[in-house]
Amino acid sequence: MTHRIVVNVQTGEVTQVEYTPEEQAVHDAAVAAQQAEAEAKALADAQALAQAQAAQQTATQSTTP
Amino acid sequence: MSVTIDGSASVTINNGAVLGITSGTAVASTSGTSIDFTGIPSWVKRVTVMLSGVSTSGSSYVLIRIGAGSVDSTSYTGITAVGWSGIANYSDTSGFPLYYNTNTYTLSGAMVLTNISSNIWVISGTVAMTGLNGVIMTGGTKTLSGTLDRVRITTVNGTDTFDAGSINILYEG
Repeated sequence: MTHRIVVNVQTGEVTQVEYTPEEQAVHDAAVAAQQAEAEAKALADAQALAQAQAAQQTATQSTTP
Repeated sequence: MSVTIDGSASVTINNGAVLGITSGTAVASTSGTSIDFTGIPSWVKRVTVMLSGVSTSGSSYVLIRIGAGSVDSTSYTGITAVGWSGIANYSDTSGFPLYYNTNTYTLSGAMVLTNISSNIWVISGTVAMTGLNGVIMTGGTKTLSGTLDRVRITTVNGTDTFDAGSINILYEG
């Protein structure tokens, strides 16, 4: 489970507070969204790279005598 | 005439304020998505957040939030910039940000929250970014709905976890 650290400055007590099921669900959804976003970006970057390489290859072929 | 107070206990005045600076408890910032300092007394007018070698698991920026009864995550004016061989800036309305990637670099320095009047707080401070040889400058303001009683150190995305360093606060009236 995900947790936070809580320090009560008046008592000096330090506790590790586990997320509630609701907080954990929000956390897991956020992590999933971040992963999906990262995968989408990686895919877009790969496609852009492939297109750039294809364009460069075409340009090289057209200028070859 | 001089007055000497000699004792091991703290000295309080009529409104309950403790004279001088009071330290919280330093905690290792080696786990968790946030570190909360709660129970800050109502007479406090200044809170210093101290970071030493703080790092996180991801690339989200470290964020300082404050609250009255609960941590507030809206309506901040928080502006930050990092200077190294270049300079870059960032702003956020969900907290006071310390701009840059703490997955790769670590933070050491202090941020000072000061009460202007009523429940209006301002923040300013400078933090070193080790590894980048950078310096982070942050300023901002936030109006709470009540009396400040807590400070949270977290990240912008709220899911990265702390994995190195230590954090503490000082408070004073």
